[in-house]
Amino acid sequence: MENTFNLSVILPIKTATAKDFDEFFEKAIKSVSEQQTSVNELVIVHTDEELLTKKITEYDFGNLNVKKLVWSDEANFANQVNFGISQSESEWVSILEFDDEYSSIWFKNVKKYSEIYKDVSAFLPIVIDVDEKGTFAGFTNEATFAQNFSQEIGFLTNETLQEYQNFQTSGMAFKKSLVNDFGGIKSNFKLTFVYEFLLRLTFNSVRVMTIPKIGYKHINLREGSIFWNHKYGADKLSENEVKFWIDSAKKEYFFADERPLNYEPQV
Amino acid sequence: MEQNRILKLQKSIENLQSKSSRIYLFVQDTKGNPRASVRYIYQMGMALKNNGFNPIILHEKPEYVGVAEWLGPEYMELPHKPIEGQNLEISPEDFLIIPEIFGFIMEQVKDLPCAKIVLCQAYDHMMETLQPGFGWTNYGFYKCITTSEFQKDYISSIMRGVSTDVLPLYIDEKFKPTSTTQKPIVAVHSRDQRKTLNFIKSFYLKFPQYRWITFRDMRGLTEDEFANSLQECFLSVWIDETSGFGTFPMESMKCGVPVIGKIPSLFPHWINEDNGLWLSEETKLTDFTADFIQNWLEDNIKPELYTEMEKTVSSLSSKETFETSVTKFFTDYLETRYESFNEQLTKLKTEE
Repeated sequence: MENTFNLSVILPIKTATAKDFDEFFEKAIKSVSEQQTSVNELVIVHTDEELLTKKITEYDFGNLNVKKLVWSDEANFANQVNFGISQSESEWVSILEFDDEYSSIWFKNVKKYSEIYKDVSAFLPIVIDVDEKGTFAGFTNEATFAQNFSQEIGFLTNETLQEYQNFQTSGMAFKKSLVNDFGGIKSNFKLTFVYEFLLRLTFNSVRVMTIPKIGYKHINLREGSIFWNHKYGADKLSENEVKFWIDSAKKEYFFADERPLNYEPQV
Repeated sequence: MEQNRILKLQKSIENLQSKSSRIYLFVQDTKGNPRASVRYIYQMGMALKNNGFNPIILHEKPEYVGVAEWLGPEYMELPHKPIEGQNLEISPEDFLIIPEIFGFIMEQVKDLPCAKIVLCQAYDHMMETLQPGFGWTNYGFYKCITTSEFQKDYISSIMRGVSTDVLPLYIDEKFKPTSTTQKPIVAVHSRDQRKTLNFIKSFYLKFPQYRWITFRDMRGLTEDEFANSLQECFLSVWIDETSGFGTFPMESMKCGVPVIGKIPSLFPHWINEDNGLWLSEETKLTDFTADFIQNWLEDNIKPELYTEMEKTVSSLSSKETFETSVTKFFTDYLETRYESFNEQLTKLKTEE
């Protein structure tokens, strides 16, 4: 169809017990169904948590083409995403977090840009970061446009990533083939799995471009989220450990496959 | 004696008939810096050359830098002559065109017997080097060329006894929309560079979240660089209180780049409420720019704005219509001069 983009949205979910889950989930799904240019399918990879399974089974997705996949192993964002990608049936994929939203213009723009920039295999959106109350906190992925940041305005390179880590892959539209060629998101990373993935793509000369349009809304440090847990929760990381994961990302991006990684606290 | 005058008149008439009368176009030496007003003069020279006239670019000193670097080498193929150090040949059938800012040159050439024309592109420079109480007619300039009707009205109200013709400039075909996509870059153009810097600094202070938006001062670029840079932008900001035409907004619109502008003192005829964002207060420029950025990032700009921009630029002169107007103006003027010389010749012959 002319007004459809050949893309699967991958939505990994761990639990329905998160605060305000229903409200977030509703908004996330609506943001997929109300796109100005529709997408092929929505692939939900959810744990077998009873409440979550029930909610997803009973939810009315309207006209969306939804694939519901149960993830029975231990919940893990990267593994669930990789599984969803492997089961998707489109040329392009994009990761959506249940507490985030696409803007309605996002896939219309990805389609337009992918037709113009045929050598680009990954498009980053300008992300609006908000706090839990919805107040604007800042932009992400916009740095590719900042002066003297990148040799080619709008493009992310391995060189610039070495100096600046604050990019995010949720909302990004990328070719499914990239995962086959260069590997998926590594599940043994804490905190810097997105960073390592981008380093790996750019190291392999994948052209990554930011589309200068608002494409995605992300809640910063929502209570219970992965990053909140690393900063404030049970899985809080020390400064040394944060440094360890950044350094590890810089060492591991040469390899497509995961290798054993363990942080050993200094005594 | 009379016979000598007759011969001279016959020679002048011959030159007018064959279009070999010299048309001197005086330009300022911008030392290689691009300037729209100089471009217009060269375009006029080129139009004349292409249509069989005899234009000569006149500059002050022999060591003239020229326009090859920024306008193109083809323009330097027009004949050039310096005023200084040479005996300039000027005959009664020749034409001398002096930009409005060179009042002191008008004074120097007032006794020359040729046809003299003021080229007024910037009305606010008209008085700059004129003596108080002196107008162009005091120096024998009875004709003026300008670029817009609203400048013509203004000039006519000040310079009594001068007949003014409008030869609207054209925007080159190299100003066209990008074949890819626009980038988050704002082109800024002001007559006074301080205004550009003040605008940019105020904007970043007021809207730090948009520090990644690039503002590009469009000064000092060659013609090609200027057009290419403009194409990349998604917005133009125009601050020119004394604009006499509005070349920059026209170039922007032709590139498909919307304009936020401070309305100049002389209200340009092409401004309407749908073809741009026109403000009377300069201090509001930053707020309107931020609003526009947000709307552009969200694909919320009304398509009608782009349609209206296209309509506006479609009414502009093309290179062809510009050449036609220039040719017509000089053909008519040559004709008038021819008739006047012929009359004098007939009279002399009768008296003889």
